[in-house]
Amino acid sequence: MKLLIIEDDASLSEIMCRALRSEGYVVECAATFFDANDKIAGYSYDCILLDIMLPDGNGLKLLEHIKALDKGDRVIIISARDSIDDKVAGLDLGADDYLAKPFYMAELSARIKSVLRRGSAAVSKQMSAGNIELSIDSRRVAVDGSDVPLLKKEFDILLYFMQRPGHIVDKAVLAESVWGDHIDAADNFQFVYAQIKNLRKRLADAGATYNVKAVYGFGYKFCEVEL
Amino acid sequence: MKLLNTVLARLAVALLPILALWSVIFYFAMVEEINDETDDSLEGYAELIIRRTLAGRELPAVGDGSNNSYTLEFLGHNTAVVPSMQYSDSLVYIHEKKETEPARVLTAHFADAEGAMYRLLVTMPTFEREDLLSSVFWHILALFLAVVLTIFLATIFVFHRSMRPLYGLLGWLEQYTPGKGVSNFPASPSVVEFRKLIDSARATITRAESHFEQQKQFIGNASHELQTPLAVLGNRIEWMLDNTALSDEQAVELNKMQQALRRLVRLNRTLLLLAKIDNGQFPDVTDVNIAALIRDEAEIYAEIYATRGIECVVDLPQSLVLRMNEELAAILVTNLLKNAFLHSPNGGKISIYVTGGTLFFTNSGSEPLDSTRLFHRFYKQGKTGSTGLGLALVGSIARSYNMNISYSFEAGNHIFAVCR
Repeated sequence: MKLLIIEDDASLSEIMCRALRSEGYVVECAATFFDANDKIAGYSYDCILLDIMLPDGNGLKLLEHIKALDKGDRVIIISARDSIDDKVAGLDLGADDYLAKPFYMAELSARIKSVLRRGSAAVSKQMSAGNIELSIDSRRVAVDGSDVPLLKKEFDILLYFMQRPGHIVDKAVLAESVWGDHIDAADNFQFVYAQIKNLRKRLADAGATYNVKAVYGFGYKFCEVEL
Repeated sequence: MKLLNTVLARLAVALLPILALWSVIFYFAMVEEINDETDDSLEGYAELIIRRTLAGRELPAVGDGSNNSYTLEFLGHNTAVVPSMQYSDSLVYIHEKKETEPARVLTAHFADAEGAMYRLLVTMPTFEREDLLSSVFWHILALFLAVVLTIFLATIFVFHRSMRPLYGLLGWLEQYTPGKGVSNFPASPSVVEFRKLIDSARATITRAESHFEQQKQFIGNASHELQTPLAVLGNRIEWMLDNTALSDEQAVELNKMQQALRRLVRLNRTLLLLAKIDNGQFPDVTDVNIAALIRDEAEIYAEIYATRGIECVVDLPQSLVLRMNEELAAILVTNLLKNAFLHSPNGGKISIYVTGGTLFFTNSGSEPLDSTRLFHRFYKQGKTGSTGLGLALVGSIARSYNMNISYSFEAGNHIFAVCR
C-alpha cells in the first residue's frame, strides 16, 4: 500500500512517515503545493494524507486536482481547522475522511485502514483479529464463528481496539473516543475500567486469541493472548 | 439635556436682560416724548392766556372740559421776579373727576406794559406713570414672549436643518456594533466642522474595525498555528510508547506528558470555539428539541458517573423547541450537564425542569459560587483538571442568542436558569 503525505511541517511529516512505515506502508512525502502537484500527476497512491493549509497554495485546490485526475486515490484531509463547515466543505469536494489536528497516530492509522477498506468493497465493514470476527454494519462479534453478545459500549470499545492493534491506548483517550466530548480531564475513569473488565471477561470466556491487556498502569493494548 | 433644549434655554436667558434693558430705555424715551408734547401744548395755552391778559380781553373759562386749569396771580410792581417759564410735574385735584391726578405744570412769570408782574400757573393732567409703567411692562412681556417664541421656532427649524449631519452620525453610531464594518456611514457634508467630525469619526471607526479584525484573526490563527506543533508532540510521545522498549517509570512519565498535552489541546480547541461563537461563525439555525437533547445527554452522563451515586431527574415536556444552531445547542446542554455532574457531591441530586419559559438546571452543592465571575474564562472553583472554560462557553452561547443565563444558590442547591 502506497501513501503520500502532503504536510508542510517537516517534523510532523517525518514522524507520520516513520510511524506509517513501521506499519508496513510505502510512504512518500511532499511539503509544498508544487511538490505535491508533481507527485500527484506523476504517480498513483492508495491514500493521500492532505494538509489543506499549505503555505504556498490552498490544499483544497490540490484536492480538486486529485479528483479531476480521477485515478481513484483515496484522500484523508488533515487540517488545523476543526469545524463541521470545514469538514462538510472537504467531504463535498470528494475527500474520503477528515481528521483535525492534533490527532493520535493510532487514530490516523485506523482512519487509513478504514478508508482503504472502503476501496475493496468485498471485505468492507468486516474486521478480524486472531479468531475474532467483527462486523461493523450488523454490530456482531464472533469468536471461532460463534456469536459473542456484547453491550453497545463494549462493542464500541472492541471496535476501537481492533482498529488499533498493537498500539498503546490511554484510558483517557479511549474514554474520549467512545464517550465523546462528555469526558472531562477531571473525571476518574471508573466507568472505563468496568466496561473493559466486562469485555475482557466475555472475550476470554469465548476463547478469543486476542484480548485487551493493561499496560504501564494507565493504558491498554489489544494484542495476542500469550498462552 | 438635549442640545436643542440647551440652546433654547440659553437663548431665553440671554434675551431676558437685553429685552429688560431695552424696555427701560423705551419707557424713558416714551415719558420724554409725552412730556415734550404736553409742554408744547401747555406753552400754547399759556401764551393764549398771557396774550388775552395783556390785551385785557376775556380769559378762557376754567372747566371747559379740557381738564386744563390755570390760576393767574397778580404780583404787583417792582418785584424781584424776572419773566420766565418753568415746567414741573405735580399732582392736581380735578373737580370734574373728583380725584387727584398727575399733571404737568407750567409756571410763567410775565409783565404787562406797565411793568406789573403776573404769575401764571397752567396745569394739564397727563398720564399716570404707574399706569404707563404697568402697561409698558405687560406689553414688553408680551413682546418678549412673542419674540422668544418666534426665535425658538426659527431656531428649531434652522437647528434641525443645519444639525442634520450630526444627527446622522449619532444615529449611525447608535446602531453600530464592532466587527460589522463601516457600511452606510453618513456622507461628508459641506459644512467644514461637520465634515471634519464625520471624516475623523469614519477614520477612527475604520481603524477600530481593522484592529478588531486583526484581533479576531490573531486569536484564530494563533490557535490554528498551535495545532501542528501539538500534533508533532503528541505523535512523537505516542511513537515512543508504541515502538520503543521503556521502563514502567519512563512510560508513566510519558503518559503524564500526554495528559498535560491533552489538556493543552482541549484548552486550545475550546478557546477557538469561544472565538468562533463570539465572531458569530455559527449562523445556521434549526429547530432543536432541547428536551430530547437533554434526555440523551443526561443518560450518557448518568452512565459515566454511575459510580458516584448521583440522582438525575429530568422533568421536561416531550418537546421543548429552541431555534438555534444545533452544534451550539449541544455544547450548551453538555456543559451545563457536565457542570452539574462534576460539581455534585457523591450521592447528590440533579434536577432539570422548566417553569414559566425558564429552563432550570439545579444540583446539590455546599457553598454558593461567585456569580459575578462564574461565566468568565478560566474561573475555577476547587476542581483541578477542568479547563475553566465550560461555563464561559455557556455564557458565550447564551449571549449570542440574547438568552439570559443566571446563577443563584438556594437551600443547598446551585441553580442555573436559562431563559429567552
